[in-house]
Amino acid sequence: MEALQALLAGFGVALQPINLLWGFVGVTLGTLVGVLPGVGPALTVAMLLPLTVKLDPTGALIMFAGIYYGAMFGGSTTTILLNTPGESASIATALEGNRMAKAGRAGPALATSAIGSFVAGTIATLLLTLLAPLVVDLALKFGPAEYFSLMVFAFITVSAVLGSSTVRGLASLFLGLCLGLIGIDSQTGQARFAFGVPELLDGVDVVVLAVGLFAVGEALYVAAYQSRLSAKLERMSGSILMSREDWKRSWPAWLRATAIGFPFGTIPAGGSEIPTFLSYATEKKLSRHPEQFGTGAIEGVAGPEAANNAAATGVLVPLLTLGIPTSATAAILLGAFQNYGLQPGPLLFQSQTELVWGLIASLYVGNVILLILNLPLIGIWVKVLTIPRDLLYAGILVFATLGAYSLHQSWVDLLTLYVFGLLGFAMRRWDIPVGPAVIGLILGPLAETQFRRALSISQGDASVFFTQPISATFLAITAALVVLPWVVRRVRR
Amino acid sequence: MKRRSAAEIALSLGVLALGAGVAAGTAMLPSEGGYAGIGPNFVPGVVAACLLFTGAWLAFEAFSGGWRNAPPDDARERGEHPFDFAAFGWVTVGLFAHMALIRLGGFVVAGTVLFACIARGFGSRRIARDVAIGVLLSLGVFLFFVKLLNVGLPAGWLGPLFGTAGL
Repeated sequence: MEALQALLAGFGVALQPINLLWGFVGVTLGTLVGVLPGVGPALTVAMLLPLTVKLDPTGALIMFAGIYYGAMFGGSTTTILLNTPGESASIATALEGNRMAKAGRAGPALATSAIGSFVAGTIATLLLTLLAPLVVDLALKFGPAEYFSLMVFAFITVSAVLGSSTVRGLASLFLGLCLGLIGIDSQTGQARFAFGVPELLDGVDVVVLAVGLFAVGEALYVAAYQSRLSAKLERMSGSILMSREDWKRSWPAWLRATAIGFPFGTIPAGGSEIPTFLSYATEKKLSRHPEQFGTGAIEGVAGPEAANNAAATGVLVPLLTLGIPTSATAAILLGAFQNYGLQPGPLLFQSQTELVWGLIASLYVGNVILLILNLPLIGIWVKVLTIPRDLLYAGILVFATLGAYSLHQSWVDLLTLYVFGLLGFAMRRWDIPVGPAVIGLILGPLAETQFRRALSISQGDASVFFTQPISATFLAITAALVVLPWVVRRVRR
Repeated sequence: MKRRSAAEIALSLGVLALGAGVAAGTAMLPSEGGYAGIGPNFVPGVVAACLLFTGAWLAFEAFSGGWRNAPPDDARERGEHPFDFAAFGWVTVGLFAHMALIRLGGFVVAGTVLFACIARGFGSRRIARDVAIGVLLSLGVFLFFVKLLNVGLPAGWLGPLFGTAGL
């Protein structure tokens, strides 16, 4: 009941004309930038972060919620029409969506993706509303030891358990943790690894890392290996409306995908990649037209798109209630919170009730804006796709460098940006995931703080992590996740 | 399936070197830690050990048949063209020119040069068009940030011009 009251008060915040305007601006910009080929949600959020420097926290975070959803939707438009999945979560959509577009059914594919995102996003936000207060109650019982163990769990799942190579995931994570060491130690004020460079005392900014890896790295990679290739843009022809049959085949897929996507988003399982593929596989299995899969089955678009959006909302549960980002995009959102001196977590629900619930309420509003904005404006988003690639990347880099430069007005940040760009190039070329590095950078310092706090309370006795039941449970699950796959492989042999 | 890639070996050694560097830096940090019993050097030490461990693991894979599940070395197998030095170079030149020019020449000048270089790297041969679009874009962004958001960006060489135009 308390949550309901808080949510109503939240709507009071979100529906204020000025905040509604920020939500609107956020969704529009998020979609506009997210549509650009090669720009995924993480980069969209990172590039648009400088725009909010002068806003009050509530307005800025509401705008960010809009950007987050807009970027997700914009990405799927690109995938369907261009078949260049900007991020792993869109690969499943590309399988059927691009085939539908090739068959002249781009309209219904975009429609099922937009309406599916709305349905899944709204249901997932409802689940977030119900779940968040429960997690907050639980999290209030957490001490530093519990938080530290939970963070270890998150580190290991996002890096070692997922992806094509455990060791490359770990390398990325430790690189992020290493970058997180740079700057002033929050406990003692000791400068670490700053080499006397004043810009480094503040630490490495998550925006510079994300923009460097995603924008500069991507530009270097595409220039080096793909600039002489041409991508084929599918035409948006025919009706955008879905037929009765399309509806009949879409809605069960949306609901099933929401059920798959939301839980996966809430646990640290690397965001949307797994649930989108699971949803794709489920729809393929349950479809009455399995023969259409591979040639443009609408369930194959409806499911993964809805799963993607449900997972994107699910990711906000650990982010808001525990302060733990489980995807690169969430890590950047956490950076946005920190810019305002806010640390997401159970205490934020108590100290900044209005802001948190205003943000949650604006997720509902954002979903509605997304739906009413996107279906009529689809023609404009398609136009954006026709921007030639040379101008597109030139423009992206103007904004990318702007974001880095505006931090300290210093060329040092631009040099750092280029170094991260080289890193991003190498990571893309040799298949090293970038998500763990971004999460490690932002979560590493928080984990260190909790670790040292826990040891301070226990007077240096390291056994607290194993004797406190909740903490021990997290560590046991983490160990099981690492050891079990290895054991299973050994036994099978 | 014997495969050895110089790049994989170099990257593995890079991770090892980073680990060694962090370890060396850690040695210079104080260790007094108050109640916790660990100081600001403890976690850097752990990170150094982890980097050394993964570096060794990567090197082991690189020397024993190559990194597991790595993308093919031949660009054509990845559906791409071979490494294009000129394109990579133009992007790099653009970013360094931007770095050098931003304080001196200002945001608009640096942005325009960056824009033209990147476009060139991506195969454009229409320099006049690229410069024109670059000027319009960076001028628009400049005015938006400086006038609307009140974020300071360097005006540089164009500063007097903005002054006379009353901007």
